[in-house]
Amino acid sequence: MNPADATPLIFDASWSDSQVMERVTTIADGALADAAYRIDHEGHYPLDLMGSLGEAGAFAAHLDMNGARYGLALDAMRAISRRCGSTGFLAWCHDVCGLYMEQSGNPALTGTVLRDHALGLSFGGTALSNPMKALAGIEKMLLRATKVPGGYRVSGALPWVSHIARGQYCGAIAGVMKDDGSRSHEIMFLLRFTEDVVLRPCPEFSGMEGTSTWGVRLDDYFVGEDTLIADPARPFISRIRAAFVLLQAGMAVGVTQGCIDSMREVEPLLGHVNQYLHDRPQELQAEYDELGARVSRLALTPYDGSKDYLLEVLDARTQGAELALRASQSALLHQGARGYLMHSAPQRRIREAHFIAIVTPAIKHLRWEMARLSKEEMPA
Amino acid sequence: MNAPWKQFLCRACGLIYDEEKGDPDSGIAPGTRFEDIPADWVCPLCGVVKADFEPYDNSLALTATCATSRVVRETGIVIVGAGCAGWAAAEAVRALDAHVPITMISACAGDRYHKPELSIALSRGATPDKLVREKAADAALRLGIRLLNDTVVVGLSPGLHQIRTTRGSFRYTGLVLAQGARPAVPAVLPADLCWRINDLASWSGLSQRLRGPVKHVAIVGAGMVGCELAEDFARSGHQVSLLDTQAAPLASLLPPAAAERLKHSLENLGVRFLGAVQVAAVTRGENGRKQIVTACGQILEADEVVAATGLVTDSRIARIAGLAYERGVVVDPATLRSSAPDVYALGDCISLNGMPCRFIEPIAHQASVLARGVLGLAAHEGYRHRPPVIRLKTRLLPVVIEGLPVAGGEWRVISEDADFLAMEQWSAGSLQARLNVGTPRRQLAA
Repeated sequence: MNPADATPLIFDASWSDSQVMERVTTIADGALADAAYRIDHEGHYPLDLMGSLGEAGAFAAHLDMNGARYGLALDAMRAISRRCGSTGFLAWCHDVCGLYMEQSGNPALTGTVLRDHALGLSFGGTALSNPMKALAGIEKMLLRATKVPGGYRVSGALPWVSHIARGQYCGAIAGVMKDDGSRSHEIMFLLRFTEDVVLRPCPEFSGMEGTSTWGVRLDDYFVGEDTLIADPARPFISRIRAAFVLLQAGMAVGVTQGCIDSMREVEPLLGHVNQYLHDRPQELQAEYDELGARVSRLALTPYDGSKDYLLEVLDARTQGAELALRASQSALLHQGARGYLMHSAPQRRIREAHFIAIVTPAIKHLRWEMARLSKEEMPA
Repeated sequence: MNAPWKQFLCRACGLIYDEEKGDPDSGIAPGTRFEDIPADWVCPLCGVVKADFEPYDNSLALTATCATSRVVRETGIVIVGAGCAGWAAAEAVRALDAHVPITMISACAGDRYHKPELSIALSRGATPDKLVREKAADAALRLGIRLLNDTVVVGLSPGLHQIRTTRGSFRYTGLVLAQGARPAVPAVLPADLCWRINDLASWSGLSQRLRGPVKHVAIVGAGMVGCELAEDFARSGHQVSLLDTQAAPLASLLPPAAAERLKHSLENLGVRFLGAVQVAAVTRGENGRKQIVTACGQILEADEVVAATGLVTDSRIARIAGLAYERGVVVDPATLRSSAPDVYALGDCISLNGMPCRFIEPIAHQASVLARGVLGLAAHEGYRHRPPVIRLKTRLLPVVIEGLPVAGGEWRVISEDADFLAMEQWSAGSLQARLNVGTPRRQLAA
């Protein structure tokens, strides 16, 4: 091979989609697949692999500076999630954090800082579970901000935030309180996990333990201009909401694909009895293909601000979660006892699919939101 | 050159020994050929001996998968919409098949009522309860169908026979779209300030407001619904202004002589008709009343504003599902099948030869034809569309049109006196439509 043709080691915007996917798939099918058990069972937080995936371009493709290739970002997340759902979730956290930083337009959050993030040289996630639900009217906003000279002071606690650690960061939203105690608006900022922030270990979850998930407490944490993502936050959230949700579809299709792999794996051995099961691999494959095609089309216009587009994205995300649930259940039934073994992928994927179904926006939130968006407004 | 790595399958538990990976936990290094494994080695998973392993050929996986054909299971008929068309379809399907599972999905409560009554209901002292002819739950029980009300369709994948809603996904063997049409409201008439009377819930909201003292109601759009509502609200004692871009009411359907009579009849009831005006904006005034500003600078203040600016079929489901759509879901005029297999449609949401037909009359016939198709039964006779008789339910001056008037046709007066006008429209030598306006004197005398 001519050395000049070799792919350089670190992603840049000139890389083609296939160059990125070749590198990402190599890591996912190799080192990541090997580490999946450790990540799931020992709670290993695979920052080393996240770094390699970052260098391969897995977390950079969707950014405007790299051509807003949402289809490629989703495909990378699919390839990762196919081997390890936890790492697929980390990929999503990392992707949306990059999205916040770039779309903020804040010079302090773009440039080198964003480049390092996109290439997996630094790491950060998202703490938008509560605010997304709060803005949809499902629950109350947990972080409260008050205006002070030069910025805001933020206090409050979030129960679980993933892909964070000392020296890392995440996007967060706080409600700004007026003197009378009412909320005037919301701000969005990059929360840096300095010594000022209390990180509290979470109770043990049934899965996704390798995602470095912590309880976060802020006590008069200062938010200055250099960390503001959006003030006010609502117009910003409206702009990025569809992209935020659409990217999650990558986790759902990846886990589903892993499940179909597991069914096919035992087909030569067990096909004679598995034929009596429903949700056979070819049925799930047909739905996977159909959903995948729709997601690819939606990925072409992630900033389409229309209600119809958002509804389609929410529908695809919901369908992805439902499909992953069905596929994981069926994969275990197809594999039988071997799928029930502690080290087997099918039993792990059941918990991964459950996570996809309950992570914000959960299936129930998605349906709530679709119903809300579909309501006709009448004179009050 | 090395032979390719082989895999061996434990016949007891299905574990696969991969020569490339070895079994390091049992001290077998990666790259150990199966034949080189000591005879006392046992399956690391279930403990059976080496002799219980057999060669495993992974390449069989795909052929085995492809050999099984896809199974389609009985899932029944799903009907989207619980208006006149949806319920008519449910009745027709159940009449032909007592057992097929039927699921009805409705964005509203799904109670059965006669929608054309809404535009004449207020002056008759109707209430929402009186307008409901059968509660949705009762109808569902009587017909043996599963009803999902307050449920919105968000996705449709005809290839998978799957419909997705805000209460979950469903498979169907046959799908009936009876989603109706929704008000087509121009952007200058904001939804939070202007009522649209297209279902019982919206009528209930407005009628609540019109109980009690006299209100000034401005109706934008003097088509059929606008004219009927204007008469109905005026008869109920309210002050009514009726606005239209045309110089006379119902001018797109009626010749000037007839439209003029309609205008006089409405004015005799106290309706103020403002013709040839374009609404430029509707805003909320400081006193809470609504202000309508016209393009020509007139300002109208009203307690309630009603947009009666026509209907349009929501194209979202058709677009998502890739169904042919042209001002409505395109259906085969004989079978009412859409462009997708096993997906049928009827009522206000369809278009026949590019034309929507938003009247009640054809629905029963459409439902009986469609029911046979969706159940896979041979059709007795196909659907044959005829333009329905159009009746404007203005009591003071009934208007009846038979046939469908065409643009540019020639209207001829057949008979005319102070109370009655009969006309015919002719185009290219053939009779297009008959029109009767008012009531002939001899009938009045009778």
